[in-house]
Amino acid sequence: MTTIFRTMGLAALMGGAAATAALAADDSKLALVPGGPHPYFAAWEPAGADAAQEFGLAGSDYKVPQRWELAQQNQLLESLLSQGYNGFMIFPGDPVGAVATAEELAEFGAPVIAGGGCYKDPSPAAFCLGTDTGNSAYLGTKELLAAMGDGEKRIAHFTGFLVDPNTQLRIDAVNRAAEEAGATVVQVIADIDAPEPAEEKINAYLAAHAGDVDGIVTTAWVPAVVAANALRRMGDTGIHMVGIDHDEVVLAAIKEGIIDGTMIQNPYGQGYIGSFALARMRSGCTVKEDAPFGSNALTDKFIDSGTAYVDASNVDGYLDTMREETARILADFEATYLSCP
Amino acid sequence: MTNLARLSRTDWFGPLLATILAVLLIQSLSANFLSAYNIQILLLAIAVNALVAYSQMIIIAIGQMNLSVGAIGGLAAISFAGAMEVWGLPAPLALTFALLIGLGCGALNGVLIRITGISAFVITLATLSIFKGINLGITEAQPFYGIPEGVKRFGGAVLVGPVPWLLVPTLLVTAILWFTLRRLPVGRFILAVGSNDHAAGLSGISVGRTVIIAHAISGLLAAIAGVLVVARLQIGQPSIGDDWLILSFAAPVIGGAILAGGHVSTTATFLGVVIVAIITQALVLFSIDPFLVQVVLGVLILAAVGLNKLRAGAATGGR
Repeated sequence: MTTIFRTMGLAALMGGAAATAALAADDSKLALVPGGPHPYFAAWEPAGADAAQEFGLAGSDYKVPQRWELAQQNQLLESLLSQGYNGFMIFPGDPVGAVATAEELAEFGAPVIAGGGCYKDPSPAAFCLGTDTGNSAYLGTKELLAAMGDGEKRIAHFTGFLVDPNTQLRIDAVNRAAEEAGATVVQVIADIDAPEPAEEKINAYLAAHAGDVDGIVTTAWVPAVVAANALRRMGDTGIHMVGIDHDEVVLAAIKEGIIDGTMIQNPYGQGYIGSFALARMRSGCTVKEDAPFGSNALTDKFIDSGTAYVDASNVDGYLDTMREETARILADFEATYLSCP
Repeated sequence: MTNLARLSRTDWFGPLLATILAVLLIQSLSANFLSAYNIQILLLAIAVNALVAYSQMIIIAIGQMNLSVGAIGGLAAISFAGAMEVWGLPAPLALTFALLIGLGCGALNGVLIRITGISAFVITLATLSIFKGINLGITEAQPFYGIPEGVKRFGGAVLVGPVPWLLVPTLLVTAILWFTLRRLPVGRFILAVGSNDHAAGLSGISVGRTVIIAHAISGLLAAIAGVLVVARLQIGQPSIGDDWLILSFAAPVIGGAILAGGHVSTTATFLGVVIVAIITQALVLFSIDPFLVQVVLGVLILAAVGLNKLRAGAATGGR
C-alpha cells in the first residue's frame, strides 16, 4: 500500500514541478496529526515522507493520537510543539473544541492547516484541505440512486463517528440527494466507524430489514467494509450499495459485483499538498485574501482535495484518477492560494 | 420458602426475567426479531461480548478493575492476524501465539499490581496505553487482510440452525469459568481475595499469586475474544477492542456482580450480555435517532441494573 501511495506522490511531484521550483525552508519540521488511529489517514505517512524528501524539509511526520479523544490529540499536539515541530496539519478531533489548541500552536508561530476535516470558523487554521464530504456523500447517493433504476427507492445510510465534524454534513447531503430523487432514507446508523459496533448494528439491521431496503450508502470506512461483507454473506438480496474509500474488501466487492461502487477520497494528496503548503507558509508565504476558497458548513476557507466515483469499469485504475487530481491541485496551488515574497 | 422465592434470590433470575420480557416485547413490535438470521446475528454478538464481560468479571471478583481489557484483546487480535499474514503461521500456531500474548499481558498487569502496590485502576490505565501503543506501532493503523480461508469460514459457519460456530468457544469458556469459580480451589481463592484479601491471606491463601492468576485469566479471555472478532470480521483491525470497556463493566453489573469484589455470577453475567445485545439490537430495529442511541442505551442499562437491584432487595426482604 505504501508503495502505491509513493507512486502517486512521485507522479504528483512531476505534475507540480513548477510549484516546487521555489524550495521551502529546510528547517520545517511538520506534523501531520489525525483525530485518532484510522486506516484512512495511513496515506499521510508516505505522503509526508515523500514531501519531506522532495521539498527538502527537516521532516513531515505522521503522528497518531492513541484514541479518538480530543484530550489525547491536544496532549499530543502540545508535546509535538515542545519537541520542535513547527508546522501542523490537523484533523480536528472536534471542530470547535480543537480550536483552542490550534490557537496555542499558532501563538508559537507554527502555521496550522486543517486536513481531512475542518475547524469551525473562526480558527487560526490557514485553510481546510479535505474531501468535500458533503459533496462526496451527495454524489455517492446520486450514483446509488442511478444504479437502483426505477421503482421504489428506500435507502439505509451507514456513517461514522458523531463527533466527526464530517458526519452531520454527510447525513444532510444523503438526505438532500434522496429528497431530490423522491427516495426515502429509511435508516441512519451512525457512530459505527469501529469494527464491533459496525458488525453488530449493520448485520442486525439487515437481518430485520433487508426486505425494507433497496439501497445502502456508506459514508465511513469501516461501515463500508462491514456492509460489503454482509451483502457478500447474504447472497443475492437485490440491495444496491455505494461505499466509500479504497479498502481492499470494498474494491474486491466492486470487482465481484457485490456492490456497485465507492467514492474514493485523496488522503495521500492531502498529506503531500498539506506538507508543501505548510513549508511555504513557514518560508514567508501568506494565504491570499482573495483566494478562491470553497465553503462548507464549518469554514469559508475550504480546498477540495478531490473525490471520484469508482465502479467496476474503472476500479483497476482508480489510483490514476487520484494521482491526476493531486498533480492538478499542486501544479497551481502556490499561484492560486498563496502570496509569496 | 417456595421454589419461585428461592429462584428469585439467585443472581440470574432477574436478568433471565428481563431477557424474556425484552424478547417478548420486541417480538410483538417487530416480527423479524426472532427470525433465524436475526437470532444468528444476536448470537454472534453474544459470543464475543460474553468473553469481554468475563474478562472484566474475573477482575471484579478480586475487587479490582481492568481498564486494559480492550487493549489486550486488540493486541491479541492483530497478533493473530499479523502472525498469519506476515509470518505465514498456520492458524493454530497463530492462535496459540495470540493467546500467549493475552495471557502474558494479563499476567504482567497482575505482577505490576503486586510488585508496586499501586491500584489496578492506575496500572491497567498505564498498560492500556502501552498495549494500544504497541498495537498502533505494529499496524500503523492499517488492518491485516491476510486471514486464511479456514479462519474466515469458521467466523461465518453455522453449527446447527441459527447457532454459529463462534458460540462454541464461548459456551466452553462459560462452563469452565462457572466450574472454576464454584468448584475449583483457584476460583474460591479468587472470590475469597475479592471478599477480604486480608482475611484470605490469614487463611493461607497467597493473595499475590491469586491476583496474578486472575489477571492472567482476564488477559487470556480478552485474547480469545480478540481472536473471535478477527474470525468474525475477516480482517485484523487495529481498532478491535476500543469499544469494549463500557460493555465489560455493564454486563457483570447487570448480572449482580459486586464491584467491591467477592461476588460474581458467570450465568448472570452471560444474561447481562444477552440483555445488552438485545437492547443494542432493539435500538437499531426501532430506528432510534443516531444522536440519541448512546443516551437510550445508557438509560436502559441503568434501568436493567436498577430493576435487578430492586429484585434482589425484595428477595432478601430489604436486608
